[in-house]
Amino acid sequence: MAALITHSPILIIAIPLAAAFLTPLIGMASKKARNALVVVSLTFVVFLVFALARDVVINGIHVYTLGAASPDLSIPTGFMVPVRIILEVDGMSAFFGIIWAIVSLAAAIYSLSHIASETGQTRFYTLLLLMVTGGFGMMFTGDLFNLFVFLEIASISGGALIAFRTKFADTQEGGFKYIVVSAIAGLMVLFATGILYAQYNSLNIAFLAQAIQDNYTALDTIALALLLIAFAMKTGMVPLHLWFPDAYSVAPASITGMLVITSHACMYAAFRVCFTLYGGMPDAPVVGWILIVIGLLTMFVGVTMAVFQKDVMRFMSYHAISQLGYMWLGVGVGLAVLGNPALVNPGGWGREAVSGGIFHILNHAMYKPLLFFTGGALFHYTGTRDLTKMGGLAHKMKWTTILYIIGTLSISGIPPLNGFSSKILIYESVYQFHPILTITGIVVSILTLASFTKAFHSAFMGAELPEYKGVKEVPRSMLIAMGILAAGIVFITLFPSLIVDSTIHPAADALIHQETYITAVMGVAP
Amino acid sequence: MTSILESGYPYWNPIIWIIVFLIVMIVVYFFRRRGQKGYKKDTAQAQIFLCGEEVPEAEQRHIRVGNIYWGFFETLKEYYNQILRPHTGIINDYILWFVAVTAISVIILLIAGLAK
Repeated sequence: MAALITHSPILIIAIPLAAAFLTPLIGMASKKARNALVVVSLTFVVFLVFALARDVVINGIHVYTLGAASPDLSIPTGFMVPVRIILEVDGMSAFFGIIWAIVSLAAAIYSLSHIASETGQTRFYTLLLLMVTGGFGMMFTGDLFNLFVFLEIASISGGALIAFRTKFADTQEGGFKYIVVSAIAGLMVLFATGILYAQYNSLNIAFLAQAIQDNYTALDTIALALLLIAFAMKTGMVPLHLWFPDAYSVAPASITGMLVITSHACMYAAFRVCFTLYGGMPDAPVVGWILIVIGLLTMFVGVTMAVFQKDVMRFMSYHAISQLGYMWLGVGVGLAVLGNPALVNPGGWGREAVSGGIFHILNHAMYKPLLFFTGGALFHYTGTRDLTKMGGLAHKMKWTTILYIIGTLSISGIPPLNGFSSKILIYESVYQFHPILTITGIVVSILTLASFTKAFHSAFMGAELPEYKGVKEVPRSMLIAMGILAAGIVFITLFPSLIVDSTIHPAADALIHQETYITAVMGVAP
Repeated sequence: MTSILESGYPYWNPIIWIIVFLIVMIVVYFFRRRGQKGYKKDTAQAQIFLCGEEVPEAEQRHIRVGNIYWGFFETLKEYYNQILRPHTGIINDYILWFVAVTAISVIILLIAGLAK
């Protein structure tokens, strides 16, 4: 077991990658065996991620050096700098890893029925596993170039999956837009990486963070802006969100769930850049303010655009954008006060703001894919995403209706659901920074509830419509996938403190205390 | 307690909330039980009265999404006219926004750096 945990960072990346290459081979022999391979490999990865996260909470940062005599030998004997590829898993990486693992498994199980009538299923699962590989790589890598490589893997496979249902014209358009936006963002990340490499001759994040602290230049500022805005565009931050509903609304629902957590992966990368790479810089409060302003814009524009929508998946896409604003807001406030140790150490509201933002990511990763899955369930039987054509579906889709209500109450921050727990952390802490932030958050929550009520009434309520007489509840695998996420919501709802103490605070502390991340690779400064 | 979430202010406990909610539900049920017993299902007593007008069939009475929150959209018409303008659906415009936001961020950060 100890060896398994030691090698778990690379195994978590390698297992879905190996499964991706095996899928076409096994798929030629048997579809059932192929599906079993996908589900079993992802289930094993979930187990590994939880074991690794537990180890990180107990024993601290897990450094894994590829090709070294010992995995923890980050700097070879006789060298002053790390030269090998390093995976570095701290509380923040482990936290995002858990989210990525759970939602990936749910998406794979959901897909078993959701795409059962489509052609090219083997290619679908291969791309899905590659996407999973890319996400884990982004979260666990300790160097900037590999971050770019894994971002590209996730983006290219994501773009192909958006365009998977080739019988619909809008899927091709959505996939094209996603690929173009991802390529531009990826190129900017590569450009920024080049700027830093040209100055410091290294790609290792810990080494670069230390070097930037010692010798901060205007070029570093340009690299910071490029990295931040590139990742922000990939998350769908207003006003760079325009591509987001075009792409998210046309993908198969299981992939939309994956795209939501891809946004989280890019948010992770942005946080890593702001806190770990540039955390000790005098620019941190300015960057914090940028995140706060853009967070407010994202929340408000996202929700007002959502109320306006008549396409169920576009409606949910705009809500996904709006909820991302809460995360930017919480973490942005924490970044703005990062220079004040009293506020970001345990007990300080700066730390609670970061914790609230991170906690909201976990909650969002549970209720948003669940809501997208219910949207996919509606499309599965009605064949339309147009809410104006729907009505009375609760008569036939009782489980889907209940799961939709759970997701709705959670996203709207209605007590006692988990969305309320993270929102109250954000509200109470950002209020100390400025009350208008909390007021905006509450207004956005009210609008969220109003718009979900509108969609609920349109799709589920009313008399049974004659055109949907033949509609029935979705297949079991889709219900199981939605049930996994709903169970996650219920668990977090009942035990918020357990979640905050065991995963959220370690993740927030990992972000706030940049020196711990640097020391894990570079060792203690002489 | 794994349920009590403390943020340095009044704490949040979902278990207490659920217990209170259940008590309220029991009280509501109690009052409902004391209501009128004379209700007869599927009789004229249960039919909709629409000022004497003919009531449409159940499936035609469903209020579709386009008719909900009409007043809200009418009031915020100007806001929506402005906010919909950038949503062109054209990828070139999207990238233009990216260039503009990146340029503004670089300028803000460089000026902030110079100020320090």
